[in-house]
Amino acid sequence: MKLQRRNQQINVWAILSFFLIIVILLPNLVIGVNFFAPANDNWEHIKEYLLLDIISNTVLILIFTGIATTLIGTSLAWIITVYKFPLRNFFKWGLILPLAIPPFIGAYTYHGIVNYTGIIQATLRNSFDIFIDQKYVNIMSIEGTIFIFTLFLYPYVYVMTKSFFENQSASLVENARLLGGNSWEVFFRVILPISRAAIIGSVTIVMLEIINDYGVVKYFGIQTFITAIFQTWFAMSDIEAAFKLAGTLMIVVIIILLLEKIIRGRKRFSYSTTKVRPIQAKQLKGKKAWFAFSYCFLIFGFAFLIPFLQLLQWAVMTYEKILNWDFLILVKNSFTVAAIAAILIVIIALIIANYTRIHQTFFSKIISRITILGYSIPGAIIAIGIITIFLALDDMMYAAFTFFGSDPAFILRTSLIMLVSAYIIRFLAVGYNNIEAGFEKVGNTFTEASTTLGTSSLGTFFKVDIPLIKGAIIGGFILVFVDILKELPLTMLLQPFNFSTLATRAFRYANDEMISEAASASLLIIFISGICIFFFHKVLDKGEQG
Amino acid sequence: MYVQIKNLQYQYKNSTEPTIKDFSLTMEKGEIVTILGESGSGKSTILRLLAGLETAKSGSISIDGNRIMDDKSFIPPDKRGVGMVFQDYALFPHMTVATNIKYGLRKMSRRQKHQRLEEMLELINMTEYKDRYPYELSGGQQQRVALARALAPAPSLLVFDEPFSNLDANLQVKIRDELRSILKRTGITSIFVTHDQADAKVLADRIVFIENGRIQRIGPPDEILGCASLLMWANS
Repeated sequence: MKLQRRNQQINVWAILSFFLIIVILLPNLVIGVNFFAPANDNWEHIKEYLLLDIISNTVLILIFTGIATTLIGTSLAWIITVYKFPLRNFFKWGLILPLAIPPFIGAYTYHGIVNYTGIIQATLRNSFDIFIDQKYVNIMSIEGTIFIFTLFLYPYVYVMTKSFFENQSASLVENARLLGGNSWEVFFRVILPISRAAIIGSVTIVMLEIINDYGVVKYFGIQTFITAIFQTWFAMSDIEAAFKLAGTLMIVVIIILLLEKIIRGRKRFSYSTTKVRPIQAKQLKGKKAWFAFSYCFLIFGFAFLIPFLQLLQWAVMTYEKILNWDFLILVKNSFTVAAIAAILIVIIALIIANYTRIHQTFFSKIISRITILGYSIPGAIIAIGIITIFLALDDMMYAAFTFFGSDPAFILRTSLIMLVSAYIIRFLAVGYNNIEAGFEKVGNTFTEASTTLGTSSLGTFFKVDIPLIKGAIIGGFILVFVDILKELPLTMLLQPFNFSTLATRAFRYANDEMISEAASASLLIIFISGICIFFFHKVLDKGEQG
Repeated sequence: MYVQIKNLQYQYKNSTEPTIKDFSLTMEKGEIVTILGESGSGKSTILRLLAGLETAKSGSISIDGNRIMDDKSFIPPDKRGVGMVFQDYALFPHMTVATNIKYGLRKMSRRQKHQRLEEMLELINMTEYKDRYPYELSGGQQQRVALARALAPAPSLLVFDEPFSNLDANLQVKIRDELRSILKRTGITSIFVTHDQADAKVLADRIVFIENGRIQRIGPPDEILGCASLLMWANS
């Protein structure tokens, strides 16, 4: 037997995790450092004439979407959890489906529905001779933006509060009922307060999604941080001003995250007992049942059915023109980058999660936190950071090539490496969360059993750990894959010349007022995302109950 | 002495008081020792320290003349050769009984591995179950497979963490007699951890009674189980 020095155990997992975390942090550090560089004229101009607009637009959209998604998300979650009514089992996961529609697709679809040539106005005009004043149906406004974000982002609140309600002991609700409160009172005085943490957490995700968005605000012509960053970067090639904007946006993100922490506070209500009895759903009858059904159907209709049917109609109109070789290349592009990035994310997440679960130290906790933080950073910021780093690397390589006398070329800035790296930084948290949960469920005993049987930690990792959390690994892969398939701002900024994905092509068509041509690509995205959502929330849910 | 444990100290990161205080024990080859104590007395921690799953603050452990840990050095669990049977058995659910038992066998030809497997299956009397998966076995069968798996690589020391806590009471009696006879037949040195005095009495050559991480008494079962503090503990 060989003795090892006690304090000199080199931990490969720790080193790998540390290295990966540095790579993730780097682009953010680039923004942070450049934010403090001296300002140029452009930035002074932006600060004087634009910044106030940008901030007020952003704040308005954030606050009102936040309120609307909270009301819709929690009320739906509550109705679904405590009542039985027609089609409840369908709505249970059907109400999550709007997540399959990226908000920018929803935005141009709704614009297509309500504008002058759209189905509503055309029908009214042609069949009923009714003309509508265009100012009443202008969806391309702050209100319209809030409407779109609410419809397609409320499922985040719905999913998280629903699982919170389901895991709550029924006795709380029953007690509140026994004490003489009616349903409304129970909802507002008991349910909302105790689910505060879940609601705040999910609304924070909604807000981060809004801040990250480029497609909706660009299409609707609303000036926000991201559109301004795109403008300064693309149209004006003003990197300094882009850095300033990105830095300011980072501050907004940090404020949101801090607010979340403060509001949530220590009030993470959960039960220490494992005997959590689920709430028994009450059968609704008559008018009340119809009311519950209508409410769910209304939201489902607006947030999924209507845009879906409209897209279907457009796709039928245009598919002969669209479905050609070019479209297949789009599909291939989208699937390849998404698959490559998702595989890499799963591998990185496995390494970090395995490290943090075995070594529960201060250092590992920080690593775990940073991994999750990546998701809070808007794609455009990550893109700028990545571009800056890769351009510098490229210049260095160019110089090295020249020095050694070989034919120099800029390799990185024209390749997919930039895009894939950016995807990894942005979506690592999604894969990590899933895999970490998988490890948590399995526990550490199998790993310990394997090591006491003489297998090294690496051998254990492949022979025991990975097979045991196979489900979580596949789940993480699918979630990341779908997220990347829907991704817009990062891809727009970083896709190499002559390379498009389904999402960026759909957006370009829509932006060029070729809305019906955008439908096929959009539908394919929605279809794949929809299948994954169905799989996750219907199949997995069943599995857990059985 | 075959096993020498000296002045073991252990403290969890978030606690103010050490979980294990000054734990010393020596064992002869082939001896069966039971560590008896209430839950929370730190008895399972001692096993984890022996197996190398936790690192002690101070103290030393030697087995068969080999130093496996002291203040300066530490042999990781996969190189220690200390076998462990876990409370919930931890049989790998994605492997059959045969693959589970063969898991710890290294540096052997295929034929040798197969031979060892057959030996183990015979020992636990489960030859016809070798192609089953753990979830297809009863609790008692699972436990026997866990024992065979831990025994197969011929560890220098075998430790058991509350091995009967997941079994029905009547099964428990049958299994622990069986277990003792298997252990005595193989001549393996082993340590059990339990809170059940009847278990301790049947299994042990000697009993170590611990309270709050400190050894209160060591001795043969008749001597220890008669003492006053234990009686009080049993009645409380």
